[in-house]
Amino acid sequence: MLYEYDGLSSLRPPDVVVFPRSTEHVVQVVKFAASRKLLVVPRGAGTGLSGGSLPWQGGILIVFSRMKDILEIDIENQRARVQPGVVNLDLSLAVSDDGYYFAPDPSSQKACTLGGNVAENAGGPHTLLYGVTTNHVLGLEVVLPTGEVIHTGGKFWDPPGYDLTGLFVGSEGTLGIVTEITVRLMRKAETVATLLAVYERVVDATRTVAAITARGITPAALEMIDGFTLRAIEEATHAGYPMDSAAVLLIEVEGLREAVEENALQIESVCQEKMARQVRRAKSAEERDLLWKGRKNAFGALGRISPSYYVQDGVIPRTRLPEMLEFIGQVGTRYSVKIGNIFHAGDGNLHPIFLFDPRDADESRRVREAAQEVLAKCIEMGGSITGEHGVGIEKINLMPLLFTADDLDMMRKIKGVFNSEGLFNPGKVFPTGKMCGELRIGAGAGGVL
Amino acid sequence: MNTAHDSVHLALAAIVGESHVVSEPTACAAMAVGGRVPQYIVDPPTAESVAAVLKFAADRDLAVIPRGNGTKLPIGSPPRRYDLALSLKELNHVWHYEPADLTTSVEAGMKLGDFQDFLGGEGLWLPLDPLGGARASIGGILATNSAGPLRLRFGSPRDMVLGIKVATTEGKLVKSGGRVVKNVAGYDLCKLLVGSYGTLGVIVEASFKLFPRLARRATLVLEPGTLGLARDLRRRILNSPLEPLCMVLFNTEASSLLQNGPPPGDAQGLELWIEVGGSPRILERHARDLAEMGRSMGVPSRQLNEQTAKSCWLRLRDYEQLFAGSFPDVMVLKATLPIASSEEFLSFAQQVAEGEEVKMASFAQVGVGIVHLGLWGVKLGTAADRLVTNTRKSAARLGGALVVEQYPNGFNAEPDAWGPSGDHLEAMRRLKAAWDPKGVLSPGRFVGGL
Repeated sequence: MLYEYDGLSSLRPPDVVVFPRSTEHVVQVVKFAASRKLLVVPRGAGTGLSGGSLPWQGGILIVFSRMKDILEIDIENQRARVQPGVVNLDLSLAVSDDGYYFAPDPSSQKACTLGGNVAENAGGPHTLLYGVTTNHVLGLEVVLPTGEVIHTGGKFWDPPGYDLTGLFVGSEGTLGIVTEITVRLMRKAETVATLLAVYERVVDATRTVAAITARGITPAALEMIDGFTLRAIEEATHAGYPMDSAAVLLIEVEGLREAVEENALQIESVCQEKMARQVRRAKSAEERDLLWKGRKNAFGALGRISPSYYVQDGVIPRTRLPEMLEFIGQVGTRYSVKIGNIFHAGDGNLHPIFLFDPRDADESRRVREAAQEVLAKCIEMGGSITGEHGVGIEKINLMPLLFTADDLDMMRKIKGVFNSEGLFNPGKVFPTGKMCGELRIGAGAGGVL
Repeated sequence: MNTAHDSVHLALAAIVGESHVVSEPTACAAMAVGGRVPQYIVDPPTAESVAAVLKFAADRDLAVIPRGNGTKLPIGSPPRRYDLALSLKELNHVWHYEPADLTTSVEAGMKLGDFQDFLGGEGLWLPLDPLGGARASIGGILATNSAGPLRLRFGSPRDMVLGIKVATTEGKLVKSGGRVVKNVAGYDLCKLLVGSYGTLGVIVEASFKLFPRLARRATLVLEPGTLGLARDLRRRILNSPLEPLCMVLFNTEASSLLQNGPPPGDAQGLELWIEVGGSPRILERHARDLAEMGRSMGVPSRQLNEQTAKSCWLRLRDYEQLFAGSFPDVMVLKATLPIASSEEFLSFAQQVAEGEEVKMASFAQVGVGIVHLGLWGVKLGTAADRLVTNTRKSAARLGGALVVEQYPNGFNAEPDAWGPSGDHLEAMRRLKAAWDPKGVLSPGRFVGGL
């Protein structure tokens, strides 16, 4: 029962769930599956939001919760080698005393696994400056659908040959199953400044985002939270967010003391120029942690005030944010749907959160249509339907809006190179022509299609 | 037959226009790669015509080598066959430019120098210093994932590309990614194509994320004297909060070449060049901390004057020209290593070169583990195979790899330019077959004879 859900939910449970302890176990399971033509779906912690780990056509679910060893920490080379079941935050904690960390930090980082991060090419607030998962993975061990094991990349840059590592990252488990990952570790910054800019109008907050970019400053993180979401967060977390504002920007700059001081001053002046009511700098690590705790627990906070919610993941050019936020507001009014906004403003990665009651069929339908309309607008603005959550099952039908038949055909050819029989993670990433998955709305955590 | 009126010439002219096809022997000879001379040169005026030419070549089984400005064409094995030089120089437009969004889309034939000039108007740049410098084309930079010393701070082209458009041997234009800075929709073909050395498809356009220019730059030179001290210094710097743009360790021969200084042989020892960028306060902080690190280790330091620094970095970026202008014959090797192993590799390479009585200039990006060796001397020709084999063994023992970037004259087949490939060769072969089933794109030039 448990494994028929992730952040999205599906009616069909897997036929069998296995918990391998080694690459060899995975190879044996995959070879068995290949001999019987059984479907195979890999799963980390099931925190994904696009249904990437759902066995919606049944088959064998390979869960990586017992392959969670950090195999090697190599500080001088700034690398670590891990099994796919290692939890994202656990890796950063393991190297923290040495002054290092793993940069991609999805909001679910306390639970999500590095294997899942690799499959979805996960992001997070701090990927604005440092890049997403693919920029931090150097090597992989992969089990192919034949049971064959291959090794790509390693501890060094520029391994000769095609960048298979880069191809596998973000392929959502449709090309192979990753059983070992070599990642890059980053040195912690000397200092960090966390600023909270408070606004009376959403449009002033979104204009600030473009103005910061225009000053040539790339913050480590630049998040926006609208007033509706803020209030939910504040009631749940007591993080210190103002209850009466229209929006806040949570901005972080880090690096050398001198650079941080210069950038923080500039950002403060930009915020004021753009009509911020208040710009506050976190005075202590505790204050900073609390602000981030509020941010990262936002979905949970909204879950407290709504029976269910549905998170979207569109991307637009960041200069179009003012226009887009207005559009989302209009969509909410038009469909009578409550929409919260909490997202990675610095890279234009939107996360509109649609609240609904799954027992209300009409509201569920309206949410579905409203979300599709927002994503269609993202495409129209020259953006994308997913910035970090993946296509999964959820956005398969939108792929033809973003890609031509020739583009999709080339992707299918690549899939055919590795997964010609379609046994690995079937029905994900692009339309197969027989898309008829029955998905339902989960209670508590969200998900509709 | 190389007359202007053979059937292939006529068919190509029908696709791209007579003025975009050349089959004149002298012009073709100038396009030689690895000793092979093509029969035709085509420079299609549009992305669509690039795709049409590729389809024609695949249908007629003509081997094609795509090229931008040719700065990185010596890299790789000699082609098994070569009929058609596909020049992208006509694809020279910036299609999309949103300075406020820090994004742009540019065609593959544009030269990096022209592109930087264009971006400079808005105070932006693409922080890349690839082999060939300003002469390198965008397409060539991507096809080879060429990054110079700036990669320490900014990463490689792979990290900056947001999307690409590729012409395939089926005659289609296929895109991946987009123009926004975050995007995970569909397979990341950018990663697959970047660094594929023109063996899968031909990149005709790419979108990049851009960066604001640095207010100021400065170069500091530390003279550690020994590789042991150089290693300790590298550890200290990488473990400090400092954020240098580049860190390159030069041996005596390399720094002499670079500075046009005294002829190699007047030993001055190793020099670690560190370029830093930002506001005056940030430069001061780096200068102070680096000088202090040096002092505490007994390593002298100095600041280069801005003009000298600038011209030296420029010369380094075009190192193949630097070598070509200095020696009648040279071999260039590139080792890619775990960061901690650069100094040990350099020590071994020095011994190998001395044992073979050839001269060696080394420049090592010690912050990222990439070491270039230039080798020359009267004994180069007879020692080249052993030099490659032995340095490659050393790189492999240290957990890295070694690629021949330039063979000496008349010596270009063995040992293989790329070295042995791992257990992923079969997967690469199948990918190649999916993109280029007839095997007409740069045949034999890449890893494993692909």
